[in-house]
Amino acid sequence: MSRLKLQQICKYYGATTALASGDLLLERGEIHVLIGANGSGKSTLCKVIAGSVRPDGGTFELNGKPVMLFGPQAAREMGICLFYQELSLANSLSIAQNINLYHLPTHAGGLIDDAELNKRAEHYISKFETVIGEGFTPDAPVAKLRPDQKQLVEIMKTLASEAEILIFDEPTSALDRSQVECFFSILRELKEEGRSIIFISHRMDEIFDIADRITVIRDGTTVSSRLIEETDHSTVIRDMIGEQPEAAALEASLAPQAEKKTESCLVAEGLSGAHIRNVGFSLAKGEILGLGGLHGQGQSTLLRTLFGAEKLQSGTLLLNGEAVHPTNPRAAIKNGFSYVSGDRVRDGVITGRSIMENVSPIHFLKDKTFLAFPSVLARIIEPALGALNTKYSSLGASISSLSGGNQQKVVIARWLTNPPDILLLDDPTKGIDLSAKSELFALVRKLADEGMAIILYSSEDGELLAHSDRILVFNNGSVSRELLGEDKTRFNLYEAAYSGAQ
Amino acid sequence: MTKAISFKSRMATLLRRFPFIPALGMLMLLFILNGIAEPNSMTVRALKGVASTYLALVFLSVGQTFVVYTADIDLSVGAILSLVNVSIVVIMSQFGGEPYVVLLALGAGIAIGALCGLMNGIVVSGLRMQAIVATFATSILISGIALWVLPVAGMPAPSLFWKVYGGRSYGIPNVFFFIAILIALLAIMAKTGLVTKLLAVGNGQLSAYQSGLSVTRIRIYGYIICGIFAALAAFCITGDTASGDPLVGGAMTLSSVAAVVLGGTALSGGIGSAFGSAIGAIIIGLISSLVFYAGVPSQWQNLAQGATILVVLMLGVLASKRINQ
Amino acid sequence: MTIMQHSNPQESRSALFVYLKNPLLVAFILIVLLLTAGEALSPGFASMEQILRLLIVAALLGIVAAGQNLVILGGREGIDLSVGGVVSLSAVLAGNVMDGSNANIIAAILVCLAAGGLVGLINGVGVTIFGIPPLVMTLGMLGVLQGLLVVIRQGIPSGLAAPALANFVSKPFLFNLPGIIWLWAAVGLLMAFLLMRTSLGHKIYAIGSNENAAYMAGVPVRLIRIMLFALSSMFAALAGICILGYSGTSFANVGDSYMLSSIIAVVLGGTPLSGGKGGYTGTMAGAFLLILMQSILTTLSIGESGRQVVFGLTLLVLLLFYGRSKALRG
Repeated sequence: MSRLKLQQICKYYGATTALASGDLLLERGEIHVLIGANGSGKSTLCKVIAGSVRPDGGTFELNGKPVMLFGPQAAREMGICLFYQELSLANSLSIAQNINLYHLPTHAGGLIDDAELNKRAEHYISKFETVIGEGFTPDAPVAKLRPDQKQLVEIMKTLASEAEILIFDEPTSALDRSQVECFFSILRELKEEGRSIIFISHRMDEIFDIADRITVIRDGTTVSSRLIEETDHSTVIRDMIGEQPEAAALEASLAPQAEKKTESCLVAEGLSGAHIRNVGFSLAKGEILGLGGLHGQGQSTLLRTLFGAEKLQSGTLLLNGEAVHPTNPRAAIKNGFSYVSGDRVRDGVITGRSIMENVSPIHFLKDKTFLAFPSVLARIIEPALGALNTKYSSLGASISSLSGGNQQKVVIARWLTNPPDILLLDDPTKGIDLSAKSELFALVRKLADEGMAIILYSSEDGELLAHSDRILVFNNGSVSRELLGEDKTRFNLYEAAYSGAQ
Repeated sequence: MTKAISFKSRMATLLRRFPFIPALGMLMLLFILNGIAEPNSMTVRALKGVASTYLALVFLSVGQTFVVYTADIDLSVGAILSLVNVSIVVIMSQFGGEPYVVLLALGAGIAIGALCGLMNGIVVSGLRMQAIVATFATSILISGIALWVLPVAGMPAPSLFWKVYGGRSYGIPNVFFFIAILIALLAIMAKTGLVTKLLAVGNGQLSAYQSGLSVTRIRIYGYIICGIFAALAAFCITGDTASGDPLVGGAMTLSSVAAVVLGGTALSGGIGSAFGSAIGAIIIGLISSLVFYAGVPSQWQNLAQGATILVVLMLGVLASKRINQ
Repeated sequence: MTIMQHSNPQESRSALFVYLKNPLLVAFILIVLLLTAGEALSPGFASMEQILRLLIVAALLGIVAAGQNLVILGGREGIDLSVGGVVSLSAVLAGNVMDGSNANIIAAILVCLAAGGLVGLINGVGVTIFGIPPLVMTLGMLGVLQGLLVVIRQGIPSGLAAPALANFVSKPFLFNLPGIIWLWAAVGLLMAFLLMRTSLGHKIYAIGSNENAAYMAGVPVRLIRIMLFALSSMFAALAGICILGYSGTSFANVGDSYMLSSIIAVVLGGTPLSGGKGGYTGTMAGAFLLILMQSILTTLSIGESGRQVVFGLTLLVLLLFYGRSKALRG
């Protein structure tokens, strides 16, 4: 009998399907890896198991008995605890308070037993003693910690539940190698104790290092579940991608474009800021410059810095030969920059407002219009949306009624009403479906052919290789290698990205 | 260089632990300024006067803090205070001013405060209504009940009541004992799991919920505590004014919010201390006495007081922002 | 085996429920019901004359609520607690400047709007540049205004409204309707035009819905927010002048009741305190509804305490329909 059995779990948010049919069989004493592309529904499935998301259908059995969870508290009582990818820490509280938040130890009189609180926290901290870094004391407030340290606190908090089913949703994304190794040795101990562990990561090597079983989710549906002995890298990747002859063909057909460099329109030298160090490049009109490397190596920061959303500390930036200093997005837009973020919920979508209002801002800024008559605006907005084959019922419909891919198209259409000179794409296809992706890249290429200069960062290496003319590989905030022409291969990209990567 | 940084970070840790430190500094400064402006303001007698007048606001602000911890707000505290004030006065005058009646009235007062808090908690947390408008609506309701209990101001409280509040024991004014009891109570409460959980909810409701806390119930507890403290504040005001008045608390609600902010508690929740709010309430009292002692012409006193409070509020918010960066 | 059937709530809601979720419609239905009930309780309640009288009072609240509406729409816990203070200040200033003479009306209006604009500017700068939460900033400002009122009123006898102003507010002005109702209608049209047919309106909704996305799309977030606070105080100042006309003489604290009732009118009209959605048409209905409720309660012989209890309960029930926050469980 499996410890946990999920069948056909589904979850919808308005028109968006977060999970179509999630299946999972979790055994005693196994480390079960869940893998799938961004937005495939892994996190939603985990949250359903941990009680924090209410499923819209499906069956849920624990130790052979059907159960109905009413919330995270109920899940905890049944021995299920989840490490939240976005962390569930209270920043102003101390490390010890966070670790023990669910069960605060008290004296007989009901007051908190500080000695016991710290002792319990120390117990979990000591497991990571060699890798926790400076300032990691039980009474230190979480707010002051580094991202990797916060992630460790969330791990400790999850471990402190001493639950029989432990779920870790991307617990290692900010950790370095030694921290990951330490964490893995703890996971193996827990496995020996008979606990069941669900583990999510995007790092293939980690997965094959720790997994007993790998379950693949694609577009909200569980597509395969195999023992580690019965699978390999390529099988997993094939399951993740599914049958997509067109995507593979696309990658091959869009081999290096003819060198058509004209005059460079943007020249950067020695750009430095919070997460970038001494970055230099030149960008020509009509060129698509790719930014590659592991996630979070400064690619996104560079784009945000160019757009004026992050502070540029030093370096020079020449736009058509004239020095510019990006101070804020408004000024950057006036200089001809544009920026599309992959985090559309944070940076892009004007939540709950109409499609028209989501497209209009750049037009207002560039044309300095004050009046906003729908009929007049529609003439400007409809072609921009049409260029991307955006599907919508009417311009007055709320953007929240659209699927993720169409929302992103609306956000991109914002820039097409008054085309910019330079388009900065910051992982623009994160969490959107395949057809939307291909339409988007077709448009990007068309824009480049019309003379727009484009910088593209994508967390999917295939996309990057297929659609950029040239790739700058980032490593720890600076450019470690430039790949062009024959060198622009997956092998070289991986080598440059992983060599010396932390 | 490193020394300076470690000093700075140690200061930051200290301030995070005791968010009321800037307010305490402000309080000291105001004491000194008061002393310079009018040396007589430092006498036990004068201090007793300030304490008896502002003790009600101190309790009210302390109560407000437990709600603000979770990023909520309670605009009905003044109405609760009024209701408890008239209720206990009516009970005491109906059944005579004997000690056991007074105790009974106090018990009833606390129960009324707790019930009002429970109602607010259910409305805001249980029914998920917006705290500002919902507690404003309950404040109208509660004021209505207060008017029903006692339609016009002026019913006197029994002498036992105000004699204890205004009296002395062992030569020391009783209000100072009340303050000491309050400080002890706050020190104990700060060590309870509930305060930690209230702060956790204030840091982020979703995170707290995902951590397995019963967010709804915790927020309701915050409102109940707030209601109880509003009842205690009503006892103070009854002791100070020696009478019942159905409108006595109306103007105090917004002052309690100001005192909470002055005390270093963030309206966005998650950070703060009830002790700081108590200090904040006394700061408001000392500002008005300073304006008086400094010889500001009478028609300018309110403006000077209002402007000073605004500046102090802004400075307080800016200071805590710097600390929490 | 249990099948957990959670149907998609958005789809399963009946059509009736969808209509009930439209605050404007509900407000209008309630207005009609209340007028009918009022007529039943005391004949003559729903007479044209009486409705006009209610509309005048509602117009005063509605003009204050216009500014409050703008600040709330701008999001980031936008709220203006100082409107009551500005109303009082403006009424007193207008009375002093006018001093019962028609010749001084223009000067009075200019002085009041300038004073209001200045107060709003300070609020806006405090909120955006110094990062003070709006509640704290405008609460502190309220204290300053109350002090300022004492200073201004000192030594000068309370000013009188100019006869033309008093007539404008309460006597028929055009088509048998008092000028104040025309003014309110103009404010309504202006607000609707501003919010729905100008780029500024789009930008206000944008910063209220997702401030960061608006910033990334080049919207001057701070400038607009300062402007919203300035407009809020100017609308309050305008209302203050009208209130002077309504009451004839200025008296202190005339504006106090407008602070929270303007917020309630906005929320009843379907603009949640979180900002970014809603509009002024609903707020107008909300303001009239609020005044109507109070008026019906005065016709009931249940005393002041009973009236307040019923009013508080009714507000709670109405608020239950609107502006509830999302459940934590997704």
